[in-house]
Amino acid sequence: MITNRDQLSSLFWLAISIFVCVESLQDDVGSFITPGPGFFPFWSAVILGGLAIVLAVTSFLRKDREELTEQWIDVKWGKVLWVVASLLIYSLLLNTLGYLLTTLGLMLFLFALAGRAKIWSWLGSALLATLLSYLVFYSWLNVQLPKGKLGF
Amino acid sequence: MDTFDSLLYGFSIGLQPANILVCFIGVLVGTLTGVLPGIGPVGAISILLPISFHLPPISGIILLAGIYYGCMYGGSTTSILVNIPGEAASVVTCLDGYEMAKKGRAGAALGIAAFGSFFAGTLGVVGLMLFAAPLAKLGLKFGPPEYAAVIFLGLTLIIYLSQGPVIKGLMMGAFGLILSCIGLDPIQASPRMIFNTLHLWDGIDLAPLAMGLFGVSEVLINIEKAAAPEILKTKIKNLFPTLLDWMQAKWAILRGSILGFLLGVLPGGSPVIAAFASYGIEKRLSKEPHRFGKGAIEGVAGPESANNSACSGGFIPLFTLGIPPNVVLALFFGAMMIHGIRPGPLLLQDHPDIFWGVVSSMYIGNVMLLVLNLPLIPLWVQVLKIPYRILFPLILLFCLIGSYSLKTSAFDTLVMIFSGVIGYLFRKFEYEAAPLILAFVLGPMLELSLRQTLIISGGSLLIFFTRPISAVTLTFSILLLSSSVIAYFKRAKRSQEVSGSRGKR
Repeated sequence: MITNRDQLSSLFWLAISIFVCVESLQDDVGSFITPGPGFFPFWSAVILGGLAIVLAVTSFLRKDREELTEQWIDVKWGKVLWVVASLLIYSLLLNTLGYLLTTLGLMLFLFALAGRAKIWSWLGSALLATLLSYLVFYSWLNVQLPKGKLGF
Repeated sequence: MDTFDSLLYGFSIGLQPANILVCFIGVLVGTLTGVLPGIGPVGAISILLPISFHLPPISGIILLAGIYYGCMYGGSTTSILVNIPGEAASVVTCLDGYEMAKKGRAGAALGIAAFGSFFAGTLGVVGLMLFAAPLAKLGLKFGPPEYAAVIFLGLTLIIYLSQGPVIKGLMMGAFGLILSCIGLDPIQASPRMIFNTLHLWDGIDLAPLAMGLFGVSEVLINIEKAAAPEILKTKIKNLFPTLLDWMQAKWAILRGSILGFLLGVLPGGSPVIAAFASYGIEKRLSKEPHRFGKGAIEGVAGPESANNSACSGGFIPLFTLGIPPNVVLALFFGAMMIHGIRPGPLLLQDHPDIFWGVVSSMYIGNVMLLVLNLPLIPLWVQVLKIPYRILFPLILLFCLIGSYSLKTSAFDTLVMIFSGVIGYLFRKFEYEAAPLILAFVLGPMLELSLRQTLIISGGSLLIFFTRPISAVTLTFSILLLSSSVIAYFKRAKRSQEVSGSRGKR
């Protein structure tokens, strides 16, 4: 049974290693004399898999007192998940709604999430961040920011 | 052109108004990121990497270089005033810097850190100027086996010197190599691991990966914490060290500068290692080692000088061999490649404007830092009071714009967010991202050199041991790896014995 972080992570790496090995075999590994496109990723994945097994075995033998849950006790899961979700939604809506609208929405959400006490304070911060970033990146640095279907 | 003429040519580029401006912005942003705990040079350069692509190549590189050495200056301010290192290379400055501040000598500590950094930074640039050309000539003699061996040594050293267990560093290195394989194969140009999407045809871009692993993950880690750092409430006066301070610190500055430069040149060397090594040496050489940790000025002067000269030294392997010695310079390598400039033995010959322009900008930047930073210390103290709840949405916004602007593609922002989550989990599971990024950058070079070597030798790995440079380099790498793997197993065995004896009780 998995009891600590190293055992859990080594399983993950082992899965990645097997996956890459299979992918590389499809790409043609070749031989040492004529290495193919799959040669380098295949051997890198073999090394990764070997190391994952070593990590799993040593962490199993170590019998650490540390439990899998210990690292996660103090984590504010809610905040982390909300931030990641908001970034994902931002990326998905960016081309459709355009930079100004999407960024204003994201900034409003993040400043509100950060716990700024007064509404005008996070409204103002979000508006300022959006407009200033637009001015600096779009107007001054000529970064191509999406206009979206609404045209701004 | 001899060195002096080349330097004059460099100044004709570095002193152009546009380049002075980007150098100024670079050192200012660098100092700011050094002052703010948690971002560091890797995070700052990752975040600002895409902006540099909108500038001409020379200006882009000057900007990034300014951020790098500016960060080294700024890091000491937070260490001395808040007892929290602004970036990793200033960790050791906390030991004596904060103690000096508690005794009312914050001004002297900040002053000696700034003057030491200036001296070391300038000495480092002189070294870069003098040693780059001979090393570039040596680099021209390198064939695929030599390149493969030196890259392997660089990867070994970064893993050997990483903070966590060596096995995890090796795993990160292997994973970085795998990620670098996504996209077209460098010899036959056949697609690998692209999962039927055109977005991966050119592989994963360095900037979104680095921004995610360092920038976004840092934000995710920090928003978990509620407590704000406490700033020492002391009046900052007498920024110019006294004669006694100078007498005590002069040899520490000189030793730190030379040591830092030498450690910076080595593959895997970094300002962090240089600062720690300098502190150790100063303590060992001191006639009063008991003063260290209680406010010894040498404990501030030595490490702060070492981390600055290590910055300059690190540019030598990058510019002359095309091999970045640490993760920050791996980002530089990526930036130069995107600008169409290949760092390596031919850089001095093909792009003297880049090399000498950057060297001259370093002189200019070091002077700017000294002139600007001492009067700006009260401003940095105010900056330290900005709450994280205001900073983190802005950092995320920078990351999003930066990753999007690379190819005006929302796919890159998704890569960045995904890398951020992975980087966050790496931190939780105690994996360091630095070996991954270095392996990711060096991967294509290593693959090409290795495959060329195997084709030349007819599949025999013994070719590495028949050529002197590759034989020495590879033997050294194998010895380093073996020693750290043996140490890892010994530690594991000891831990097993301890837990076994606890179990019996």
